[in-house]
Amino acid sequence: MSEPIANGPQSAIPPAQHVVEIVGAGRTFGRGPGAVTALEGIDLTIQAGEFVSLIGPSGCGKSTLLRLIGDLIPATTGSIRVNGKPAAAARRGREYGIVFQAPVLMDWRTVERNVELPLEVMGYTREERQRRSAEMLSLVELADFRRTYPWQLSGGMQQRVAIARALAFDPKLLLMDEPFGALDEMTRERMNLELMGIWRRTGTTIVFVTHSIPEAVFLSSRVVVMSARPGRVIRIIDVDLPQPRTAETRELERYFELVTAVREALRQRGDEGGAGALDDAALRIRAEGYA
Amino acid sequence: MSAEALVERRRAAAERRLAAGRWGGRLRGAVPPLVVFIAVMVLWEFSLAALGVQQFLLPRPSVILAALIDQQANLSRAVVYTATEALGGLAIGCLLGVVAAFATARWLTAREALLPVAIAANSIPIIAFAPITNIWFGSENPVSRMAIVALMVFFPVMVNTVRGLTQVDPAALELMQACAASDWQILRKVRVPNALPYLFTALKVATTLSVIGAVVGEYFGGPRYALGIYITSEAYVFRYPNAWAAIVIACALGIGFYLVVLAVERVALPWHVSNRQASS
Ligand SMILES: Nc1ncnc2c1ncn2[C@@H]1O[C@H](COP(=O)(O)OP(=O)(O)O)[C@@H](O)[C@H]1O
Ligand SMILES: [Mg+2]
Repeated sequence: MSEPIANGPQSAIPPAQHVVEIVGAGRTFGRGPGAVTALEGIDLTIQAGEFVSLIGPSGCGKSTLLRLIGDLIPATTGSIRVNGKPAAAARRGREYGIVFQAPVLMDWRTVERNVELPLEVMGYTREERQRRSAEMLSLVELADFRRTYPWQLSGGMQQRVAIARALAFDPKLLLMDEPFGALDEMTRERMNLELMGIWRRTGTTIVFVTHSIPEAVFLSSRVVVMSARPGRVIRIIDVDLPQPRTAETRELERYFELVTAVREALRQRGDEGGAGALDDAALRIRAEGYA
Repeated sequence: MSAEALVERRRAAAERRLAAGRWGGRLRGAVPPLVVFIAVMVLWEFSLAALGVQQFLLPRPSVILAALIDQQANLSRAVVYTATEALGGLAIGCLLGVVAAFATARWLTAREALLPVAIAANSIPIIAFAPITNIWFGSENPVSRMAIVALMVFFPVMVNTVRGLTQVDPAALELMQACAASDWQILRKVRVPNALPYLFTALKVATTLSVIGAVVGEYFGGPRYALGIYITSEAYVFRYPNAWAAIVIACALGIGFYLVVLAVERVALPWHVSNRQASS
């Protein structure tokens, strides 16, 4: 499968390295007549430093795809490789961090100890844990809150703690499942800006699940549009908005064009009856047609 | 003002409330029940005569208080003995309950086999076995009552602890799985802390049960100076105020145990919902 040469920020990153490589992956839940095919024939390659959003109607298998990449559930068909290894090996090697829609913080741990949780699991020394949690908490601008308990924080702040925790051990890959889905619009936009800052500073590859079109366009270098069940990739849209993304990005004409392009892609899935993915080149031409 | 500053202000206010609530609030919280208690006592004291209730059916609080002072020596010996039985049984029952809970939570097959049995056993009136343990261990032997108490507290402790160990946020487990945590790490860092509030809930029930088990167990036999025996024998010779005084002591013992658990919980689980806001 030939990948479009990435434009935008990735061009600064040396030779294309595949962080995620999904070939013909599918996932079916259950057996027999009651079986649900959540995903089918997924092909997707993500390169180092990319920010890729997965977007699609609710129940189309976005979370399932993210779980497959993270080896939290196994694929029923196809192969998934992360950092050149099978997904299971990458998980055992602790090569990715993950953020869910809920912050999933431990009530009994202070903010700082929550960030240190994966580090404890990995056997980092106490000094190293403290050094890293302090660093991560200042990255998400919560340094002053390290001794507070999660329930003393707002929803947006809790989600930032979850991001700090996911990044604490410098994973090359960050998986995010609708991390801002539970936040109000204002907080969400601010979190988007902050996430862009974190992405730029850390150079982490991010796979981001969302059902918000503006969010996907604003954040991503590529938007993967998925069809309703069984989930398939129906289009991949390159987002050629200039970096760094700022509040002004949302006012660019190109931004609106891309939002429209994603919206159309999502709508067309119905007309095409969930047709299989078009090849990347064709998609790129389509997307560029909006330029 | 930024949202951040607002949150910070809210947090600071919450903390001040917490700090103020720690003592001031708690004392203030104790006032209404105290008022109710005193009102009930006063009503009790003065309404009995008016209603013409016989002294032996229900003595007045002042009479019971007099008996308490008069019987000091007997009662303190009795309460020490019975409290030892209750605590011994409590310790054995809780220990076994927690151990059984870990075993059942660890092995799914054990859980499927044991948990329904435990839940069913939870509704058995175990006190009915008191005459049997008296035969097994001898009625003069405190172990008879400890066995009853242990059996009574075992099931609620076990069932609650299993719940706490297994009813964990699935996302927290996924999070641990994502960083390749071992079962042991998941147990220590997620399941056990998650189970602590459940365990404390069970302990509060267990302390109350333990005093009931010990005192009622003694109704079926025990040394002369045991609290339960004291109550029955004083009632038998029509010294009702003495019997009432002993009942008051038994109640105080149960409440005392409960308050100790409550205090330990406050210290051990400062993060728990029930301890977040001392004042409303
Ligand atoms: N553990 C599971 N068992 C059975 N079905 C599941 C499970 N997880 C997801 N599904 C099904 O797979 C489909 C995709 O789910 P999901 O990946 O959560 O969708 P999305 O995140 O896009 O909303 C849904 O129809 C859902 O019901
Ligand atoms: Mg989802």
